[in-house]
Amino acid sequence: MAEPASMIDKLWFLIPEIVLFGGVVVVSVMGLARRRIVRDAVPLVVCVFLVAAMAVIPFLYGHDRVFDELGRSRAGLLMPLLGRYVKLVVCAVGILLAMMSVWLTDRKLEAAVASGRARFDPIRVSRGEYFAFFLLSLIGVMLVCNANDLIWLFLALELTSLPTYIMVAISRPSAKALEAAVKYFFLGALSAGMFLYGFALLYGASGTIVLTEMRDVFAEQAAAGGLNSIALIGMLISLLGVSFKIVAVPMHFYAADVYEGAAAPVTAFLAFVPKTAGILAIMLLVSTVGYGGRTAAGIEGLPQPIMVALWMICVLTMTLGNVGALLQRSAKRLLAYSSIAHSGYLLIGIIAGPALGFDAVLFYLLAYGVMNTAAFAVLAGLQRRGEEIESLDDLAGLRARHPAMAVVMALAALSLVGFPPLLGFWGKLSVFIAGVEAGRIALVVIALINSAISAYYYLWLVGLPILAMPNAQSQTVVKSKVVWPRVAAVLAAVAVVVLPFFAQRLLSGSQGVGTPPAQQPLADSQRARADSQ
Amino acid sequence: MVWLWLGSLLLVPLVGVAAVCVFPARRAKWIALFASTATFAHSIIVAVAFEHWHDGGFGFGAAIPTLQLPKFGIQFEMGVDSVSLLLTLLTTLLMPLCIWGSFSAIKDRVKEYYGWMLAIEAAMIGVFIARDLIFFYVCFEFTLVPMYFLIAVWGSDNRARACTKFFLFTFTGSLIALAGLLYVAWQYQSAYEQWSFAIGELTAFSATHLSGSEQAWVLLALLAGFAVKVPLFPLHTWLPLAHTEAPTAGSVVLAGVLLKLGTYGLYRFVLPMVPEAVIAYAPAIGVISIIGILYAALICWVQDDIKRLVAYSSVSHLGFCVLGLFSLNPLGLQGSVIYMLNHGLSTGALFFLVGMIYERYHTRDMSKLSGLSARMPVWAFFMVFFVLSSVGLPGLNGFIGEFLCLLGAFTASADNATHPGLLGPWYAAVAALGMIFAAMYLLIMVGKVVFGPLVEPVVKAKEHGERLPADLTWREIGVLTPLAVLCLAIGMQPHPLTHAAQGSIDAVLATYPERVRHHLALSGQLAAGSAVDEPEDLGGSGVGGGGDGGRVDG
Amino acid sequence: MLVIAVNLSTYIPVGLLVVMALIFAGANLLMTHVLGPRRKGPAKDIPYESGMNPIGTARKRFNVRFYILAMTFLVFDVEIIFLYPWAVTFAKLQPASPEAALFLGRVMFFLATSVVAYIYAWRKGVFRWD
Repeated sequence: MAEPASMIDKLWFLIPEIVLFGGVVVVSVMGLARRRIVRDAVPLVVCVFLVAAMAVIPFLYGHDRVFDELGRSRAGLLMPLLGRYVKLVVCAVGILLAMMSVWLTDRKLEAAVASGRARFDPIRVSRGEYFAFFLLSLIGVMLVCNANDLIWLFLALELTSLPTYIMVAISRPSAKALEAAVKYFFLGALSAGMFLYGFALLYGASGTIVLTEMRDVFAEQAAAGGLNSIALIGMLISLLGVSFKIVAVPMHFYAADVYEGAAAPVTAFLAFVPKTAGILAIMLLVSTVGYGGRTAAGIEGLPQPIMVALWMICVLTMTLGNVGALLQRSAKRLLAYSSIAHSGYLLIGIIAGPALGFDAVLFYLLAYGVMNTAAFAVLAGLQRRGEEIESLDDLAGLRARHPAMAVVMALAALSLVGFPPLLGFWGKLSVFIAGVEAGRIALVVIALINSAISAYYYLWLVGLPILAMPNAQSQTVVKSKVVWPRVAAVLAAVAVVVLPFFAQRLLSGSQGVGTPPAQQPLADSQRARADSQ
Repeated sequence: MVWLWLGSLLLVPLVGVAAVCVFPARRAKWIALFASTATFAHSIIVAVAFEHWHDGGFGFGAAIPTLQLPKFGIQFEMGVDSVSLLLTLLTTLLMPLCIWGSFSAIKDRVKEYYGWMLAIEAAMIGVFIARDLIFFYVCFEFTLVPMYFLIAVWGSDNRARACTKFFLFTFTGSLIALAGLLYVAWQYQSAYEQWSFAIGELTAFSATHLSGSEQAWVLLALLAGFAVKVPLFPLHTWLPLAHTEAPTAGSVVLAGVLLKLGTYGLYRFVLPMVPEAVIAYAPAIGVISIIGILYAALICWVQDDIKRLVAYSSVSHLGFCVLGLFSLNPLGLQGSVIYMLNHGLSTGALFFLVGMIYERYHTRDMSKLSGLSARMPVWAFFMVFFVLSSVGLPGLNGFIGEFLCLLGAFTASADNATHPGLLGPWYAAVAALGMIFAAMYLLIMVGKVVFGPLVEPVVKAKEHGERLPADLTWREIGVLTPLAVLCLAIGMQPHPLTHAAQGSIDAVLATYPERVRHHLALSGQLAAGSAVDEPEDLGGSGVGGGGDGGRVDG
Repeated sequence: MLVIAVNLSTYIPVGLLVVMALIFAGANLLMTHVLGPRRKGPAKDIPYESGMNPIGTARKRFNVRFYILAMTFLVFDVEIIFLYPWAVTFAKLQPASPEAALFLGRVMFFLATSVVAYIYAWRKGVFRWD
């Protein structure tokens, strides 16, 4: 057994998180500043810190830093390279999300202060807090990449989720948002309790909380005749708990209500950030019990009960998500159900396992983050009677008055349905190829059928803005006062069109980062091959 | 820079799209016309420089640089053989005509319209020149979006339903086809430990390494994708709706090229990829296509709407095309390939002619139109000409394709010495009824609309903007004349075409005679003692030798 | 294929504890039931048996400032708990060594974050009572 990783080795990979934490400290105080210009600079400062964190990341993951002489992870991580890709993606999408959130809170108060009708009162503003929580949640996702034991994993997952409860509540001044926040909070607490219980059982079954050691213990158990049943139960309960984070069946019920209640920028945040954290957590957890050839004992794939459970979760998630979306008349609820469905597609990659499946999942997360942000940014960038637009009717005939937003919505929807040659297609294709390679033909066929079903409701999002005639309701849709959500929408749409040209680079960026170190020599040779081509 | 030979066929229309977006709307149509004409000119150059007209090999093979995913073996590789080059030429010829023909009909959202037209041109060319499966699929799917918008924005009253139905049918079908193709790629990967999506490699692999039942499933998956596009009988319901609602040029593109993507898919993928399954299911598919021929023909008979009539006649005609393909002998395949070209020319022209009527009278109802030859003699001439071509009058182009298809089906019996088939005289005889029906419904339509006493609906000029002159303008004549000349030329001299297609067809059919004999021997339909080769020989003997066997070398 | 591979004997102490807890709780309930005197009367049914009648409702709302102040207190309280082990370790270090400087630097960073929290709370008006 390797000696415990030193603190310095672990801290080295936390530099981006530390940078962002500096951002949290600065932003929370800046939001209360006396001078208006300082308060207005908060989103800008958030973006600056995100860019700084992005700039640092490529220098952290040098080969000698990550691995010691024997090819083991210095920080004692199960997937030492995971952060190299995920942290960049999270920061990049984070910048888009931060742009969407400019002026999400405090606009009325600031307007009143500017016109002299009110005095600035620090207790009544929440902009600094909003962006501080925003960054804290991103830090949570990034910490999941560095989790080397169950306690760290739990804390990182909770750090991802806790700020989002508050963000939902303060996202807009309505009872709906509060209701959504309370629902979200209680169900989130339930799920946290569930996976904590699962973690406890995993500890009971393996006698360790360190993921790498757990993997070895489970490999020994498997070699000795089968996994401990307590381990299996613990794993299943943990998976169910984490399903909440990725809005997978059976923990998906809250999605539509919460997504509808929160303001669009927060909804986009919910659909990407906790989902990423949950997917990473599932990757880490299932890697401790399975995937053939990756463990000393060579268990083929995943243990049967885990595989069956994931398979069912995956199929139900895709199907319920897509069928549920067919019934919606609200664009936000529709996108909420589509978010559920996309979790199902992501699970295919997890079932397929490393290396291809995990690579595909990570790439898909990037694609989903970008195209989903584009769709929500359109909703955030337009408003009707002072409220952001919500229903599909508001989108009708958008082209006549807001052509750019109509095009962005159409592109985002086509990409979400997985239409070539947009970004979503390459994400789906790589996930499907990985599923096929793992022999999960039935799963891929179900996913393809689901894609066909989803085409129907995504076509509304394409057709309504571009083709339909404006109705009385959509005539009154105007641009929101702030330009930034629309800028984010256009940027994301450009990314949806342009990124496929860099698909090779993006995919090779994700290559091997989800592979546990026991497998690392192989991953290295793969990378060498990819580089030489 | 070899890739620029074929790559510019994609690039020129795409540059055209960019230019249409950038320049003001009044320039859009001229830019589009210029870009598509330049593409046509370039395709002519490619055709002249093409060296494999006679041997069925692939030319100009090259991959688009930078666009590749080596991890999955995906490269955007291009290459054409004679058949795909012929279909490319058909596309590049029709597109400038479509764009020119839209000058007067399209008045609003002009930039978008011509942008989509050029985009669909690039996508369709991409389908024909792709030698990589993912490249093929991307282009195949992408044709949907421009068509969706062409129908949905510039279509007639019922367009919302039409375009949604069109999109969902074809999208679902091609997703299932993608599943089948992925399955083949996966089998390849498990056999060679390496991904590849090169069409040639996968085809050769699939034909020799997949078991009969696997091939049957792949066949069904592929049929789901391609039969919807063709469209074959039970899956055709989107087509009349889409045609009726589409703008004129949209109908021309749809009938002229988009439907050919389906038959091209059958030709390029189904026949070489899953021969065992094709042999097992050829009679069934033959029966389905005959049902389609007759059913659509009977429906044509009762149509009042001229455009809908022409649309259903497409379903009927494409049935011949599929019948020819599944007769599995050179005659049938030649007929089918020629039919693809002919149908593009004559049905395209018919849609133009119907569109010209619609622009003048704003109706397509046969009961409201009659005796138009008195008002529009030039139009009447072209109408009669193209109807005769479509009916299959000997001397015009339609005849040769239809005749060869039927002849192929007729001779595709078990006792054919060189290319035994699974259809036979009965199939040809019943299908030939379709020709008779075609003559009846088309000629009845001509008799009503072109001849007889003059009846024309009153059109208020104010409602519909500027009036066109009663008869065809020079522009409209210019659109129709190239098509007419080609129809006549092909009808008189089909040999260059049959000759050119021969090499490619031989490559596709390379292993079929042996396999069919083997199949017949097994099912006891062939008398014992006839020439039956050893079944072991079937493995890799002929397939690797065919032009389809490997990657193209530039 | 589910095999229980854990040696159950390691759980004996836990089992004993559970059994003892059950016995203790059960015995207490049983004994009070058996031994305790029992009297009935209206005074027995009111919430307080002190002789006072309850005043007002129990669901009274406190000023939110109490909570904010309590939370602020918690933050600084926990900080002291973190400082304590640090101080104990720091005393053992060689004075003026680089290691001691590093230790000092770390705690200074930690304190700096608390100062930010203090500034935030102050600016937010937590300490104002008007």
